[in-house]
Amino acid sequence: MIKIKFLSALLVSLCTLGSLSAQTDNISPARKQAIDSLALEKVRDLSKYISIIGNKKTQYSEANRVMDRAEELFAPESEMGVSALTKKEVTYYRVRKYFEHLMALNYDKVNIKWYNIHYISDLERQPDGRYVGVVTIYQRFEGESEGGLKYKDTTKKDITIYVERKKTQMQGRTVEFWDVLLGDIRVTETSE
Amino acid sequence: MKSIQNSSKLVLLVFVLSALVLGCKSAKKTAATNAANEKIKMEREANLRKQKEDELKKREAEETAKRNSESAMNVMKENAPKVKLGEYFDAIANADNVASANNSINEALAMFASSEAPVLVVISEEAGKKDYDRPTTIKAYLNYLKDQKKNVNYIDNLKVDGAGKITEVELRKNN
Repeated sequence: MIKIKFLSALLVSLCTLGSLSAQTDNISPARKQAIDSLALEKVRDLSKYISIIGNKKTQYSEANRVMDRAEELFAPESEMGVSALTKKEVTYYRVRKYFEHLMALNYDKVNIKWYNIHYISDLERQPDGRYVGVVTIYQRFEGESEGGLKYKDTTKKDITIYVERKKTQMQGRTVEFWDVLLGDIRVTETSE
Repeated sequence: MKSIQNSSKLVLLVFVLSALVLGCKSAKKTAATNAANEKIKMEREANLRKQKEDELKKREAEETAKRNSESAMNVMKENAPKVKLGEYFDAIANADNVASANNSINEALAMFASSEAPVLVVISEEAGKKDYDRPTTIKAYLNYLKDQKKNVNYIDNLKVDGAGKITEVELRKNN
């Protein structure tokens, strides 16, 4: 008898949990589409920030301000992979270090462009409630010295995307929002 | 003697008849004059009525025009900060250089109660429930426009304090 009661209680608990999970997971295709687009927009924003930081014409104060903004796009402790045609290994830097490294590159002219930005793994809801997906980008890097020395490569990179529903207090009221955070950026291919 | 008497009677008769004829003519004339006066009076009254009706219509039309004008002015007054801020957004996103963008940023910030005024961006809305991007501040958002060189959100709503300064901005994605 006790065993039956226990099983019944367990069943009810599981049903309740399932129902709660279904409620929070209840996002229409239109809302999901908006979140997908928002995440892609954050990647494009990062692309622009990287090109500003890398640009030798950018003033130091502006570059630092942009680094702060770019860093805000990432989850804490995220890393960025850096590769070169001359090296086999990919070096991983914390994003802030990567930006500083980028700003200090020993070229007189640097041009960085990201293109073909797309999902290779759609945002999927995880058991912890977060949505996780992967976006791939291609990066064209061109560095040029006054002496005429040029370095060019194209790198394919995978960016992990985390999207989480959060709440914040604003002027005495609670505002719920979708927080998109970029995770590690892994180098998957490097070519000329 | 008798013939003189007859002649006198005839003259008298003619005189009386003439007087009668003349009297009738005069009565007719008076009646006609009265009718004419009555007509003029009626026409005057009709004109007066028409004038009054025209004046009433004119006044009503003027009042309607005034109300419409006031309502248009109110809409303009309400939209004026939106329009002005929208122009700053465009100017910042399309600035030729950082200095020009920074000038526009400083001018735009003067419209706000604080440079930390919150900015919300609605990414979608269903059944009155809004989905927002991570909230930011107006200073950060204006710099975002400068960095990204794109103005993809339109101003949906502004909150203004008693001094007419903006305290909150709600933007919406241009889909």
